[in-house]
Amino acid sequence: MNVDLSRRGFLKAAGAGVAATSLGAMGFSEAEAAVAAHVRPFKLANTTETRNTCPYCSVACGIILYAKGDVRKGETAEIVHIEGDADHPTNLGTLCPKGAALKDFVHSPSRLTQPRVRRPGSDRFEPISWDAALDRIARLMKDDRDANFLARNEAGVPVNRWTTTGMLAASATTNETAWLTFKVAKTLGIVGFDNQARV
Amino acid sequence: MSGFHSIPPDPAAIGRLLKAPFAILPDAPALFRQRAERFAHLAEGHPAAAYLRFLAGLCGAQAALAEALPPAEPIPAEQVERARAGAMPPLDRAALGASPALREVIARFTEAVLPLAMPPQAASALDWLRHADTATLDGMIGNVMADSLPMEALPQHLFLAAAIQVEAARRAATLDAARLVPVATGLCPVCGGPPAASLVTGRQGAEGARYAACAFCGTQWNEVRIKCLACGSTKGVGYKEQAGLDEVATVKAETCDECRSWVKILYQDKNPSLEPVADDVASLGLDLLMQGTDYRRAGFDPFLIGY
Repeated sequence: MNVDLSRRGFLKAAGAGVAATSLGAMGFSEAEAAVAAHVRPFKLANTTETRNTCPYCSVACGIILYAKGDVRKGETAEIVHIEGDADHPTNLGTLCPKGAALKDFVHSPSRLTQPRVRRPGSDRFEPISWDAALDRIARLMKDDRDANFLARNEAGVPVNRWTTTGMLAASATTNETAWLTFKVAKTLGIVGFDNQARV
Repeated sequence: MSGFHSIPPDPAAIGRLLKAPFAILPDAPALFRQRAERFAHLAEGHPAAAYLRFLAGLCGAQAALAEALPPAEPIPAEQVERARAGAMPPLDRAALGASPALREVIARFTEAVLPLAMPPQAASALDWLRHADTATLDGMIGNVMADSLPMEALPQHLFLAAAIQVEAARRAATLDAARLVPVATGLCPVCGGPPAASLVTGRQGAEGARYAACAFCGTQWNEVRIKCLACGSTKGVGYKEQAGLDEVATVKAETCDECRSWVKILYQDKNPSLEPVADDVASLGLDLLMQGTDYRRAGFDPFLIGY
């Protein structure tokens, strides 16, 4: 830790009134005062830089999101720039053209922000709540599995396969999410399945 | 600016990912010459022009001295290896403080800065330093080596620190950057000192990487971004900039909610002219604004003590 500053803190706390600075001590107090007058009308603005993983593909490049405003300080944050994370071992700061256009993806008016359903016979998607969506998916999966699950093949060998439903999971996942996704799909007997755990 | 090198075309490097080098050692004459030029440039139209112009002269004297001196004595190989094995800085500050060569550099530097225009406080401090006896000078060198400049004798120590920077940078330049190892987060791998500021570089092969800049020996070393340089925490790191700027802020305060400290970060990828020490002093306004927060400054720069 910086010894000089702790000493200043001590002097301040002790009420010694020693406000020594490099500028003041060298005889440039006027310059210091001019800077103080110059910045007086200004305030400080919070910005943030946040690490994340590019959601596009299973390469999972590291990215840095730049935002104006800091959510932790009770503000709203708006992403103003996204670039590759130079410290990330996978991409060392580089991004592919899709990754380099991520900011437009984040701010896109057509971005999917809630679950939607296209009902049989309909020509459009409608919003649906997460609860209703998950209930419906569970119901359909259960019915399909009850109808089509195959415990043994023609030769009587146990196979436990469910081939009429497939699952495609997203790429930007952690090891733990990938492991859980894999376990859920394989426990149900799903054969047609792909997720990050394959990579 | 001097020190600009055009990039030689190298087709073999196209499409290949390069890991950013861990450390960049200073070239003492170029380091101080660029700093002097940057100070002179920043002084134009700046509210603290008088101080920046003075520091331009001071750094110009550092550069002239670094150019005039014979090659520095290299740091003994066995010391470098011992430091490497123990993850310690190879530049032994105590040994540097005791060396007769340093006394010579201090004498020549304090004479070289005599003609500079400076306020009476600075001039009398310089005179005092030039006539300090050996024991006093030894004690003051010890203060500079400990990065602990006493408030009651700040101007003398400022001149002394500037002189010692010349010798420290010259010795750092004799090392092999590839043989350096990280000492600790926020500590210079050459001399163990704290950084003045850190910069996000746009240098080819290291674009977007962050380097911390040592004010003592001029070494720059790679540090992971969005990480507090004072305590090493990656939690609660935020950034503050002067509000209401027309263009993108290129100097920000990197704050840490874990240890409540802050260090300046300069975006050299947005403005390649930024120089860690010169732009640290020139962005004094940010320090003054940060005084109104409960974060304390953890960057160390002898030219900007007390904020």
